[in-house]
Amino acid sequence: MPRIVKTQYEYEGRIREQITVVEEDDLPRWGEEAQLRLVGRPQPRVDGEARVTGAARYTADIDLPGMLFAKVLRSPHARARVRRIDTSKAEALPGVRLVLTADNLPPGILKKGPAPLVKEVRFFGEEVALVVADEEETAYDALRLIDVDYEVLPPVLTWEEALAEGAPRVTEQGNVEGGQPVIKTYGDVERGLAEADVVIERTYTTQVELHNALEPHGTVALWEGDRLTVWESTQSVSGVRKGLAQAYGLPDEDVRVICEYMGGGFGAKFGPHRHTHLAVIAARILGRPVRLVLDRRDEDLATGNRPATVQKLRIGAKRDGTLTAIDLVSYQIQGAGGTGGAVGGPARDQYRCPNVRTVEYGVYTNAGPSTSFRAPGYPEGAFALESALDELAQELGLDPLELRRRNFTDRRRDGKRYAQNSFLEAYEVGAKAFGWSGRPQPPDPAELWRRRERGEPLVVRGVGVAAGMWGSAGWPPAYAWVQLHHDGTATVTSATQDIGTGTKTALAMVAAEELGYRLDDIRMRFGDTVMAPWGTGSGGSGTTSSMAPAVRAAAADARRQLLQLVADYFGVSPEQVELRDGVLRVQGAAEGGGAVERRVAEFFRDIGPINIVGRGGRAPNPADLAAISIAVHFAEVSVDVQTGRVAVERILAVHESGRVINPLTMTAQIEGGVLFGVGFALTEERRLDPRRGWVLNPDLENYKILTVKDAPRIETIVLDRPDDQLNNSAVKGIGEPPVIPPAAAIANAVHNATGLRFRDLPITPEKVLAALAAAGRAAGGRAAEKEGVRPR
Amino acid sequence: MLAGGQSLVPMLHMRLVRPVALVDIHRAADLDFIEFTPEGESVRIGAAVRHADLLRHPVLGARLPVLREAVAHVAHPAIRNRGTAVGSVCHADPAAEMPAVLALLDGEVEVLGAAGLYTVPADAFFLTYFTTVLPPEDVAVALRLPLPAPGTGQAFMEVARREGDFALVGAAACLRLDADGRVAEARLAFCGVGDTPVRAREVEAQLAGTVPSAAAWREAGAAAAAHLEPESDAHASAAYRREVAAYLAARVLEAAHRRAEGAFGADGRGGAAG
Repeated sequence: MPRIVKTQYEYEGRIREQITVVEEDDLPRWGEEAQLRLVGRPQPRVDGEARVTGAARYTADIDLPGMLFAKVLRSPHARARVRRIDTSKAEALPGVRLVLTADNLPPGILKKGPAPLVKEVRFFGEEVALVVADEEETAYDALRLIDVDYEVLPPVLTWEEALAEGAPRVTEQGNVEGGQPVIKTYGDVERGLAEADVVIERTYTTQVELHNALEPHGTVALWEGDRLTVWESTQSVSGVRKGLAQAYGLPDEDVRVICEYMGGGFGAKFGPHRHTHLAVIAARILGRPVRLVLDRRDEDLATGNRPATVQKLRIGAKRDGTLTAIDLVSYQIQGAGGTGGAVGGPARDQYRCPNVRTVEYGVYTNAGPSTSFRAPGYPEGAFALESALDELAQELGLDPLELRRRNFTDRRRDGKRYAQNSFLEAYEVGAKAFGWSGRPQPPDPAELWRRRERGEPLVVRGVGVAAGMWGSAGWPPAYAWVQLHHDGTATVTSATQDIGTGTKTALAMVAAEELGYRLDDIRMRFGDTVMAPWGTGSGGSGTTSSMAPAVRAAAADARRQLLQLVADYFGVSPEQVELRDGVLRVQGAAEGGGAVERRVAEFFRDIGPINIVGRGGRAPNPADLAAISIAVHFAEVSVDVQTGRVAVERILAVHESGRVINPLTMTAQIEGGVLFGVGFALTEERRLDPRRGWVLNPDLENYKILTVKDAPRIETIVLDRPDDQLNNSAVKGIGEPPVIPPAAAIANAVHNATGLRFRDLPITPEKVLAALAAAGRAAGGRAAEKEGVRPR
Repeated sequence: MLAGGQSLVPMLHMRLVRPVALVDIHRAADLDFIEFTPEGESVRIGAAVRHADLLRHPVLGARLPVLREAVAHVAHPAIRNRGTAVGSVCHADPAAEMPAVLALLDGEVEVLGAAGLYTVPADAFFLTYFTTVLPPEDVAVALRLPLPAPGTGQAFMEVARREGDFALVGAAACLRLDADGRVAEARLAFCGVGDTPVRAREVEAQLAGTVPSAAAWREAGAAAAAHLEPESDAHASAAYRREVAAYLAARVLEAAHRRAEGAFGADGRGGAAG
């Protein structure tokens, strides 16, 4: 029976409360001892062939009769006021159907929320006008014919400028999100620092990173009367439907959102976004479907980013390594009204420490707004915390792993015990597999510089380690239906989606396992809100951990109904019916009391049409426990002392995320995430003109995403440890954890290789050479300080 | 003029260029040739020849090692399979590898104009960023690259942010030794450090007649880099480029020297060695 519960869960480092309808969840847990046939064995993706052959239809592939194409005119200034727009030349271009600006947006279509075109420009690339035309190329041409008279204003670009007295207000609420920092205090950090034998006080900075999902954002909007259908590249079809229904004053049932296939989102696709509204409004005005697919420049200017951070960190410890205080003041530079992540999450929750304070400022500037980005806040926070621990270990003469071991915690900061925390096992297993012990001390960087000056080709190597954590237990509401078909197949339906991670495959495996069907007989109907129950959004690494329990419950419901029918038909009790691999085995059904075997499809042929739909909902997480997925990464790097180039040679990634459903897609997530993290460490960085706030590299040539040719050797060790106190499937998430530790592990390895500490990402060849030179100069004949030199 | 389309098609797509007509030479079999001149002095590379064809050629790599080393740095296989050597030279991106090779070797561009065939030497071909002397109505039909004389070694190296990126700095050297092991002729060229490929002619002249040594390469590299006027951009500062140019120059000179010595040792007659 459905019931209402108030539940609490952790989402991307923040605790959320929710009142939700849940359904009974009385299935035996898939704990350590569960005997499973499919779950845990590698399965190729159920939609792999469609994806690689081009049969899969993405949003940009949607082509409707009479469809028009839209393109957005973006501001060439970071801060400006539109005085006047002349659209007459654009409107006169043959093939142009509509030009929209903030001045002629018809009132009454969009009923709620801000207009998707602006006159007060707050960032380079902000949406100023829209052109709709018969052809995409015509729309592009028309953009160039729009004449905008801007009053250009000086932009606020740095966090210091934004926080300065009398700074222009970037948003209506001022230049700090919420008007003040988010402060969390546990114990007394000043006392903790006073009690410490050693205090490390450092500032770490990280850069703006762009999502650059392979598939750009895009919308196709179609109105049929007052019913709206939207194809949207999104991480939450259910969420977009809800948002559109509210914005246009429509009943949920009159809005259909479809995202059959996704080419990645990484947090930036939880619409409806401005482009969604523009397509919907234009389609309403013109009475024809409109496609608005963003191009790479649009993507890189205006669809979100990982905010830059400045993190001032103080850590106190006793001689034996026991932490006495962690004090973090962080500034997230979030652009014009964006959202940031919980940068303080790792500092608060990863280690045992009695005195912790995190002060987090979300600072607004005249740059593209940030949004959630694969483990928001955590790669940044972990870079600072895990680098600082490495510095602390160096200072204490302790092995960095031993330092972490000594500060292991079994509970979250709010006192809730972790259902399972596998850090200790991961340290041990990883250290052994990597060959951690006996790593050499870092060299003197001044000596490296002297050898460089002699022209000697010189490549030095080093190793480093870092850890990361992520609460990814999933949450309600999440619902699924499992319908059994006459031909012996079954369809799993939910208004959730597979954003490219392999969700469909994992959940098909769960359904097949619970039903007793073959995997090939499971059809997945995800990515469409019509005639589908609410499915979770794909964020917080929570799709599988939210949906698997629901899918499993729905499959169990369908199975119960089927077994009851079979039992009735043969005149036995349901306990006498077995179902494996799509074959029914009915004890006592044959003459003489023997067993009858029949394929499900054969059984259905005998009984005519059927109507078996299993329903499942996800139960809340246990109220008294916290959940974390953990990651420990070991990095080996080489540094070319002549060119300053850092090459990551090898990453060993040890992960625990509860029960493994599909080892193949899990490993793929880890490998992809590691490469992501290497890019964050070494090459990725959105560059702004420091005076004007123009984005200098909004394309894939100049924004350096790493590709397969840049990939280090990536080894994965997955600890398959069912976390069966959390949910019926004992699963947690893996989508985000792999991106958290690499940057710190690499920076620590670079220190081990060179004796230089890099506290500013990305670690570019230029910064490495500058730091070596500075060490050489500082030495001036004597040994450089071990501390190294902070380059700029 | 459309050959591999690796630069033109993106520019068309971005609507940066709007030609009235496109001449597609994809299937111009006459332009798809790699041929050695009868006297064996140079190789001619037709305008339809892909980068990948240069890498695949059975003897070209051995005859002209610097070309093979440079082309291996050009982008990725998918791009090398379509992009052409002549197209790269005509596109004249100063960070690209092919223009630097042409400049290093004092190669020539064979051009077909209304009055017939004529040739333009490398040092007169490039004007500035993405700009050559080629008139719009004329067509570059081939490159002519001199092959190294006996006793010559060659090398190409570059530093880029990622695999397949345009070079932050690239350096190429060609070194011929005389019978006494002295430098008979030195050539040194760079990409990524100016508005065209850059030859270090002063340094080349200074090296001629000298006794090879590690110190000589280092000094030559530093002297050559001191003359460079690279630009700063989003990927590296001018200072970084100059710093690394000095190092790479020393390395390619050293590698070229080692190969030149090997060439003597190997068969006594000389010739280029990889």
